[in-house]
Amino acid sequence: MAGSAPVAVDADRGAALERGFAWLAATDHKKTAAKVGIASLFFFGLSGLLALTMRAELAQPGLQFVSDHTYDELFTMHGSGMIYLFLTPAALGLGLYLVPLQIGASEIAAPRLALFGFWIYLAGGLTMYSGFFTNSGAGDDSWTATIPLSNSTGSPGVGMDLWVIGVALAVLGSLLIGICILLTILRLRAPGMTMLRMPVFSWTMLATVFMVVASFPVLVVAMGLLLAERHLGGVFTGSTGSIVYQHLFWFYGHPVVYVMFFPFVGAVGEAVATFSRKRFFGYRALVVSLLFFTALSMAVWGHHMFITGAVRNQYYSLTSQLLAVPAGIEYLDLIATMIGGAIVFRAPMLFALGFILQFLLGGLTGIILASPPLDYHVNGSYFVVAHFHYTLFAGSLFGLLAGLHFWFPKATGAMLRERLAKVSFWVLMVGANLTFFPMFFLGYDGMPRRVPDYEPRLGDLNLLATIGAGVIALGVLLVLINLFVSLRRREPAGNDPWGAQTLEWWTTSPPPRDNFTSLPEITSYAPLLDRLEAAEEERERRGAEVPA
Amino acid sequence: MSGGPKGGGGPLLAWACIMLALGAMLAIWSEGDASSLLFLVGAIPLLALSGWNRARPAPGGPRLLARVSVPVVVTALGATLAAIGLTGGLWLILVGGEVALFGLVWLAREVTLERRGVGR
Repeated sequence: MAGSAPVAVDADRGAALERGFAWLAATDHKKTAAKVGIASLFFFGLSGLLALTMRAELAQPGLQFVSDHTYDELFTMHGSGMIYLFLTPAALGLGLYLVPLQIGASEIAAPRLALFGFWIYLAGGLTMYSGFFTNSGAGDDSWTATIPLSNSTGSPGVGMDLWVIGVALAVLGSLLIGICILLTILRLRAPGMTMLRMPVFSWTMLATVFMVVASFPVLVVAMGLLLAERHLGGVFTGSTGSIVYQHLFWFYGHPVVYVMFFPFVGAVGEAVATFSRKRFFGYRALVVSLLFFTALSMAVWGHHMFITGAVRNQYYSLTSQLLAVPAGIEYLDLIATMIGGAIVFRAPMLFALGFILQFLLGGLTGIILASPPLDYHVNGSYFVVAHFHYTLFAGSLFGLLAGLHFWFPKATGAMLRERLAKVSFWVLMVGANLTFFPMFFLGYDGMPRRVPDYEPRLGDLNLLATIGAGVIALGVLLVLINLFVSLRRREPAGNDPWGAQTLEWWTTSPPPRDNFTSLPEITSYAPLLDRLEAAEEERERRGAEVPA
Repeated sequence: MSGGPKGGGGPLLAWACIMLALGAMLAIWSEGDASSLLFLVGAIPLLALSGWNRARPAPGGPRLLARVSVPVVVTALGATLAAIGLTGGLWLILVGGEVALFGLVWLAREVTLERRGVGR
């Protein structure tokens, strides 16, 4: 009998292994989205460690512990990891999980394609990072891989090849996931869920996948051409070769910024409406502004090329400045939703407010970069680094965290620890501003980006930014601890712990395999709020009838 | 159920038209610069999708679907190996291609069995 226990343990292990494999190949959109989320978190960790290494190097002037070439690899893989492997997939993963739930669908359209997209994206990420194990090192030509630096003369070796192939695979994976989300919205909405009854988050996802479908194929083609250039030559040659490459790259490179931003505007919108206990203000205005915003965002790529002298600066400056109009409408909607509301400062709301405040700084400094004469001065400097970190870190990451804290109870059935969440919010707020605000001054004073050394006069501000990066790392660690603790020692969430408005809160937490066992009547984008208001009206009516 | 949702193609069409208008504006302003053609690249898949959605509305009703699809993972693995083969050598392209082909055949069989299941 002594042998029976180990057999049972083996059987358990076998079953667990089988479940693990089944999870990896599961077609359920929630499981695919969870896989995307975990993978993107993994790449966020890796890319974050690279950032910390860079900031440690930059704490003092002079070369401390990395060479020029290693520093090239660090900033290339940090930027590439954050954009291709973390924020873009995380944004799409959020949509993959939530869009079917918000529109009352029992599944995603083309679930196998979404699963294929996840695996291709993961493989692309690992391929990119595998460059570190080659003799030539990882990709070292920044996340843009500008020609001629990225050709076989500028960046010889297999590491850069792996970077190019990895980017193509990762972007293709994201594209396929985006297509699935678009098809779901077009073809799987529940009865009664018209386009103008879709929740705010789903609309922002629709706008996002428009850009994905329109711009991502161009980068996949560009990476194919870059690989051909590296091995065969003759593709991006001559006086216009690098300009053609830049057009192809930035046609993807600018919209992707909005791909990493719109879903989090949606997440913030849902959190703001829920915790203001109000209906979202200006829903239709938001929908129209989103359509113009996305279209305009496809028309501004040339502002990254002002200094080349090869683009029509007036056109790209005009379209870039016009972005302020739909952005202003969205800010107006968010603020007006809060005005007069009974605001509850729970953790998702704090992260939403952090997003609103900090993204504003990123957006306003974007207006400076949209003006060619000002752009000539700060192009290639730390001013640009500060600008896009305010939009992507202090903006988008805070939006992502607002969404994570808001929907975590729905996805897991467990509440996050509120106090720990609030502490992590304040630590991240301090860290983000301590890191990125000094960079505006560094850039304006002439510190170029992508260099491991700088003039001694810039030492104090750089040290401040490095301390801030450490504070950010602490904040991220607190978020991770909160996730871990909340999953290990669960506090049950119930179906709707926030008193939220949209359809995903109708079903159980976590949702069942087919998402819903029943659906309420859908008469607006906030069906749960409709029911609540109808019940209140009914109570008031009955209350009025009783004395009579 | 009488069919899937209708009307989803409207925003798609509207958005593609805005893209084309912006492209035309750039083409005129830049006196026919070829970069404005990129707008066409962006708008065409969306116009095609809008047309397809209008021509073939979603059937609606429940679908039978494998909850676990291993062949998809195998196909993705094969495609990745083949792609890395572009720098790793012809042998890796061939190995990856074979794995991907195997995955596709397996996938076709899985889909066929699913459809037979629906037929019953």
